[in-house]
Amino acid sequence: MEDRIELLHGTLEMLILRTLRAGPQHGHGIGVAIRATSQEVLQVEHGSLYPALHRLRKEGLIEGEWKLSENKQRARYYRLTAKGRKQLTAEESRWNRMVEAIARVLRPA
Amino acid sequence: MRFLHWLTRRSQEDAELDEELQFHLAEEARLRIGRGEAPDSARQSARRGFGNVLRTKEIAREAWTWSALDRLAADLHFSLRMLRKSPAFTALSVAALALGIGATTSVYSVVHSVLLRSLPFPQPERLVMVWETQPKTGKPNVVQTGNFLEWRRRNRSFDNMAAIEALPFNVEAGDEAVQVPGLLVTAGFFETLGVQPLLGHAIRPEDDTPNGAAVVVLSYGFWQRRFGGRPDAIGSKVFFGEQPAQVIGVMPPGFHLPTQPNIDAYAPLRIQPGQALRDGRNFSVVARLRPSVPLRDAGGEMRRIAAQTAQERPDINTGWSATVVPLLEQTVGKTRTTLLVVWGVAGIVLLIACANVANLLLMRAAARRREMNVRAALGAGRWRLLHQLLAESLLLALAGGVLGLLLAYWGVPAILRLLPTGFPLPRRDEIAVDQAALWFTAAVSLASGIFFGVLPAFEVDLGCLSDGLRYGGRQSTAGSRSLRSSLVVAEVALAMLLVIGAGLMLRSWTLLRHVDPGFRPDRLISFRMLLMTSSRDFPQILALRASSVREMLDRIRSLPGVEAASSIHMTPLSGQQSGTWYSRADRPPPPLAQGGGDVSVISDSYFRTMGIPLLEGREFDERDRSGSPPVAVINQTLARAAFPGENPIGKRMRVYWGPSGDPVEIVGVAADIHHNGLRTAPDPCLFLPHAQQPSGFLTLVVRTNGDAGVIAAVQKEIHQVNPAQGIAEIRPMESLVAADTAEPTLETSVLSIFGFLALGLASIGIYAVVSYSVEQRTREMGIRLALGAARQVILSGVLREGFVLALIGIGAGLVAALALTRYLATLLYTVRPTDPLIYASVTSVLVAAALAGCYFPARRATAVDPAVVLREE
Repeated sequence: MEDRIELLHGTLEMLILRTLRAGPQHGHGIGVAIRATSQEVLQVEHGSLYPALHRLRKEGLIEGEWKLSENKQRARYYRLTAKGRKQLTAEESRWNRMVEAIARVLRPA
Repeated sequence: MRFLHWLTRRSQEDAELDEELQFHLAEEARLRIGRGEAPDSARQSARRGFGNVLRTKEIAREAWTWSALDRLAADLHFSLRMLRKSPAFTALSVAALALGIGATTSVYSVVHSVLLRSLPFPQPERLVMVWETQPKTGKPNVVQTGNFLEWRRRNRSFDNMAAIEALPFNVEAGDEAVQVPGLLVTAGFFETLGVQPLLGHAIRPEDDTPNGAAVVVLSYGFWQRRFGGRPDAIGSKVFFGEQPAQVIGVMPPGFHLPTQPNIDAYAPLRIQPGQALRDGRNFSVVARLRPSVPLRDAGGEMRRIAAQTAQERPDINTGWSATVVPLLEQTVGKTRTTLLVVWGVAGIVLLIACANVANLLLMRAAARRREMNVRAALGAGRWRLLHQLLAESLLLALAGGVLGLLLAYWGVPAILRLLPTGFPLPRRDEIAVDQAALWFTAAVSLASGIFFGVLPAFEVDLGCLSDGLRYGGRQSTAGSRSLRSSLVVAEVALAMLLVIGAGLMLRSWTLLRHVDPGFRPDRLISFRMLLMTSSRDFPQILALRASSVREMLDRIRSLPGVEAASSIHMTPLSGQQSGTWYSRADRPPPPLAQGGGDVSVISDSYFRTMGIPLLEGREFDERDRSGSPPVAVINQTLARAAFPGENPIGKRMRVYWGPSGDPVEIVGVAADIHHNGLRTAPDPCLFLPHAQQPSGFLTLVVRTNGDAGVIAAVQKEIHQVNPAQGIAEIRPMESLVAADTAEPTLETSVLSIFGFLALGLASIGIYAVVSYSVEQRTREMGIRLALGAARQVILSGVLREGFVLALIGIGAGLVAALALTRYLATLLYTVRPTDPLIYASVTSVLVAAALAGCYFPARRATAVDPAVVLREE
């Protein structure tokens, strides 16, 4: 448990977009995927997923569509839009540059 | 349509969000069950892992654009429910606000209509009045005829300049005759004002020449009354005196010179060139500045021209100069100060009301601390709670504003109707609670709502949520207590200021009411008219005036019910008086700029009729007529000034009055009266007998036995003497005395009402704060009582707390009053703005009010039952 890290402010949206690049997913699935791919390090309070999803939807980065889940239940699946894809690319490169810069500061060569 | 769409979309989004969250929780539980958890605990941990569902929904909802409106609606709805739940609080707050906003709005509508709105003429800012100014005092004075002609000829500052003189016009109506207010104007008058007649044409340059045709321009109102609004009135004849005048024009409705609001007819003012230099000062002058000329330059040019005329005709102009006054300033005059003072006072009442409501809100906020804390703990954001509080105060302000506007809407016309005729309020017919007042109310309500809404919002200190929950909302923070205390101090200080103002006004008014006018006004009726004579030959006119007045008085005196009758040419307390130079004949004449004073032309037994004591000698009688030695009576002030330590009887004076230049012999000294107003000290006055100096201005004064039928009998006698003689005004002298104090009476009542309101609101403020603090400390007091504290000690402790606040407020109010009441000085009669008696008595009144405000809640504190309190713990 002590290894878990709370998300940096503003990164949740990027992680959602990244998760959705793999294909449409509902809210719960997104949360599970983030936890799993980060090997349980990144802790996402599920409650905070939905406000983020609604913000992204409002900005037109993702779209929602009601479909049946594997258990034949109605669920809203989210899908990246073209705009979202572009945004994700921009965010990723910005993020990588920042991580490199921070790493250089922390471990000067 | 869009709104419906918006509503359906909102409920759809809500439903979808619900379903989405339900799905999420179910899915999470399923996942956990799959890992081997028991179904019940799996569902619980799914919920725990999710966080706050309500808050999630709220935040998610806020992502949608329309949720701001949505939130406002919810806030308002909730506020309404909260306000309905505490009707006493709501009623008190709304009433206080309605009074404050109503007062400011009412005064604002008058201020706007009278002071701020421009006069109803084209380019009104260029309209001015030009006056001569008196030697030494520099006071504005009506203009000498010859000087007016020179001004008009020489000036380069004005497009146009016109002389006017108000005079009653005698109008025959069937076999009756009436006199209506008329204005003689030179040809440029209507052009100067820039107003065209509604019908026909204005007075043209050829009309005001000495041999011009007799013509008249009617006011809209007179045209309606007299001609029923018929267009064929143009060209018809109106009998002004003996001579028919032809109606050549009708002015549009509402047209009048703002300083002469009641004029019914305008006729040419004819200046006889031969007479111009010999005339006295009679004219007012209205002029229009050239567009490029600033007011100051025009004033400079007029002073230069006046200096020239003074050199050319030193006999009449030495020491005199000229001044230019904007027409709006002339119209508004002294009313400006009064209105601004009253407006300021109303504003302070509103401030006190706001402080009061803020205080009540603060107390309620404290009482609702628990509610707020619970809502905050349940996830309501801080802004959400602030918005909520602001919505509540804005609702209160709105309700107060609407009521206040209604108050002004009904109140202002009602007060205007109460004012007596002739009340000195300029532009009275223009006063309206209109759109400007509406905007003003809206702005004031909004500002007040924010002012008293923001203060309690600070009270919602979310930093110590758990404290709030733990103490169950019974504790208040030290910060909010000091805020409340400062509000009370401010309230008391402002109330102190207003009550001192009201006290000064009341004292001044009481003194004014006790001023003896110098005559006995009871059962004394005045009949004012311009004497009509059928002759055009001046000596003959004088003889006719003398004989007709004598005949009228003889007939009236013989009427049953008449105790005495006489006449004077300008009615006392009517605001009109004549003046001229006079000096002792046994001394070399002083420079013309010095000496002189009022002149009254009176008939026999005037002093007896008026009830004015005669101090020396005799009054005029049968002996004093045309041809007999010229005589005069002087008043006490003139006797003291001109004959200090001497007996004036038998002395002679030179008088610049009338055709003959013979000195007059003083035959009597009369006591002073307040001819020019109760607030003004009597001026020197010289009385001349009407029989020797017959004047065309005439007021018959008749002392009756109280029988109302006497008035009609007197009218009949006047008609008998000259059927063409109309009467301009019949008025009891008592109403003239009352009218002279009407203005201070209104000012005093308004300021007293405001002062009373302020006192009441401040007392409620003290009461509320002390009782709140008592309520907060019930447990403390219970415990202290249980531990054996004396009830007296607790009582005095609570009393002291409130009282110290009140004392600080009273002290601050005293300082403010010392600094600010000087603005009242112009409204006060003989009372000084720092009158110690008023300050002392108002202080004691406020101390008493503060004590009462503290005492009742303090007594409740001692009534606490320790057993009950301890059980609550």
